Amino acid sequence: MIQGGLKRKSKANSEIPSSSLADMAFLLLIFFMVSTTFPKEKPRRLPFPEAEATKKVDEPRKNILHVWLEKDGSVYINDVLVPMNEVSNVVAPQYEATDRKLVVSLRADRDVPYHYVDAVTKELQEAYALRVTFHTNLEQRVTRERR
Amino acid sequence: MAIMKKKKRVSGEIPTSSMADIAFLLLIFFLVTTVFDEEKGLSIVLPEPQQELEVSQKNVLHLMVRADGIVEVKRGESPSIQPVRPSEIEMIWREEVAQNPNLIAAVKTYPDAPYRNMIAVLDQLQKAGAERISLQMME
Repeated sequence: MIQGGLKRKSKANSEIPSSSLADMAFLLLIFFMVSTTFPKEKPRRLPFPEAEATKKVDEPRKNILHVWLEKDGSVYINDVLVPMNEVSNVVAPQYEATDRKLVVSLRADRDVPYHYVDAVTKELQEAYALRVTFHTNLEQRVTRERR
Repeated sequence: MAIMKKKKRVSGEIPTSSMADIAFLLLIFFLVTTVFDEEKGLSIVLPEPQQELEVSQKNVLHLMVRADGIVEVKRGESPSIQPVRPSEIEMIWREEVAQNPNLIAAVKTYPDAPYRNMIAVLDQLQKAGAERISLQMME
């Protein structure tokens, strides 16, 4: 009697309840799907310059504005081609909208002639967007040499 | 009759044991295929517009970036120009700043020089811990 009772009990516990596992997995899946934010702009594939001193920018994403500068000197902000002398007029409202915390991430082609970069930084100065990050990829060649 | 009943009972339940596998497979697929757009780079704070600072020449280290990547180093008032490779600038800056803590690095880039040459110099300066950097274009 006692043995039979024990056997039945252990049989019930030996199986892990896997019926709720699917719910858990779908919950996780839906959580990640909902919490994912998609970038507003479509990514441009530019060859960025490399730098060993590359650091992560510690700033909320909503305060960051990407300014793309292509090799021919064309500037794109939020997928729109902006003439060089209009850049400050486009950036200035963004600067106000972010409560003057705007950080401009200048994503320029590594082979763009410098006078275009100078023109963009002058425009940014005009818009008072003074916090600028030159987007670079981390260069690791020399650190390996040092070891 | 008995055989038919047994068959019905088996097919009446949807097999939920593989549902978790499917869900996790989807989860892992999306986790792996997600690429994060990292915000990274060399940060700098530009001066305010129309802000001109009078700086004594002896506190300035001129770094003139040429189109071929060679950097011409000119120390303050001395007229001599020393052409160096960008990789040597970190050492030069450390030596110079040890003698003069008020030193300012003036990076002057020729208009036709590629952007990456300027970044190479800025990289070296930031690696050497330089904080007073001025970016200009060669007029």
